Amino acid sequence: MATPTDILTLGQWFSPAFPVGAFAYSHGLERSIDQGQVRTADDVQDWLDTVLHHGSVWNDTVLLASAYRAETPEELIMIDATCRALAASRERLMESDLQGSAFCAAVRDVWPVDLSDLTYPVAVGRAARLMDLPLELTAQMYVQAFVSNLAAAAVRLVPLGQTDGQRIVKHLTPACRDIAAKAVQADADDLRACSYVTDIAAMNHETQYSRIFRT
Amino acid sequence: MHLSVKPRGPRTVLDRFRQSGSLKCLYPRGHSTELQAVLVNTAGGVTGGDRFETNAHAASGTHLTLTTQACERAYRAQPDQSGQIRTRLSVSDGARLNWLPQETILFNGCALDRRLSVDLTHGAELLLVEPLIFGREAMGEVLLTAQLNDRIDIRRAGLPLYLDALHLDGDVQALMQRRFVGGDARAVANVVFVSHRAEAQLDPVREMLPDTAGASLLRPDVLVLRLLAPDGFDLRRTLIPILTRLNGHPLPRCWTI
Repeated sequence: MATPTDILTLGQWFSPAFPVGAFAYSHGLERSIDQGQVRTADDVQDWLDTVLHHGSVWNDTVLLASAYRAETPEELIMIDATCRALAASRERLMESDLQGSAFCAAVRDVWPVDLSDLTYPVAVGRAARLMDLPLELTAQMYVQAFVSNLAAAAVRLVPLGQTDGQRIVKHLTPACRDIAAKAVQADADDLRACSYVTDIAAMNHETQYSRIFRT
Repeated sequence: MHLSVKPRGPRTVLDRFRQSGSLKCLYPRGHSTELQAVLVNTAGGVTGGDRFETNAHAASGTHLTLTTQACERAYRAQPDQSGQIRTRLSVSDGARLNWLPQETILFNGCALDRRLSVDLTHGAELLLVEPLIFGREAMGEVLLTAQLNDRIDIRRAGLPLYLDALHLDGDVQALMQRRFVGGDARAVANVVFVSHRAEAQLDPVREMLPDTAGASLLRPDVLVLRLLAPDGFDLRRTLIPILTRLNGHPLPRCWTI
């Protein structure tokens, strides 16, 4: 069972105030908005629903859980390399790499744990293990923070009202809960994604002329 | 099927070769120094219960191109059965391997489980394409139910370098129609180019892409490309000039429109 301290620690990690710089990354959403494919709150919800059910979220969460269960440094290296190998584009790799390093640095500086730099989901899984936090709740809060961050990006870019953004997060929260709960039971054989349009958007963001976000 | 190649002077020649079952291999004569191997599935397709295994190795200093004589067809399978395809490629230092199969066409009711594993050393070069067609709409073929497990797993010096895993089960047509999944595309291709020439190819390749495609440089020597198209014809029309460019040589003869 998660103790109140566990929940508060996870709340701290996944708060927008935690210095991973999540606000700088849009996962390719900025490109889809720039292309006119995403214009309304419903479009944003559909885009996020696709990434949640068919995109990178599943794989990231499976790897978060694998990292949590890893027993040796060699296993962790393999899981981290798998996370990099699954990146759909250079910017997606950067998103995972830089947020991961920032997360590891912040956790190391604040808590007495020995955490070397890893990609973001792998780092979260490893840190949760080292601090004995509950896996499923860690994964659920990780996924919801991901959705919440992209909803905030959409609020700035589309633009939408603040409450539109929060309605999207509320609407997708049951999916965050269920997908994370399922992903933590899965293993490397269950990795999969088919959100082609969002992956292509992430690739083409690299050449977008005017951009606010790093990805 | 097992096949390996070795250098003989400037040319690449067959080292060892063994085949059995309905998977055969042809070696068209060419003037080039590379060796071309054309895989032929004499069964005419894959269905439940089939097992196909291909292993190929390119030794140091060789240049091997593998392609297929025809599109692979994944036909309707009996319930609880799936067709299995396993392909393992390995490429040594200073060798170049091209994996350029023609399209795999999925038919309604198919159940295909496929793995393509590639082992590279640090000095190995690879050009890989995997084109997939989700039913041919012009022929009235729609994927209302299909199962596909498809994985491309490229490792370098034992560590994962590129991984793409697809797991579809059910109404693939409806899934591909979703705006941010397939955007109504019925054909998709992945291209991976591992070479010291990869970085220089990014901009020219981007110039050749339609809006429904993207390219990116995952590492200075790893170029990846993903392409969506309304049908197989359109997919091929975009792929041919890009693959020709990345290959640096004309493509195998079967790669025509």
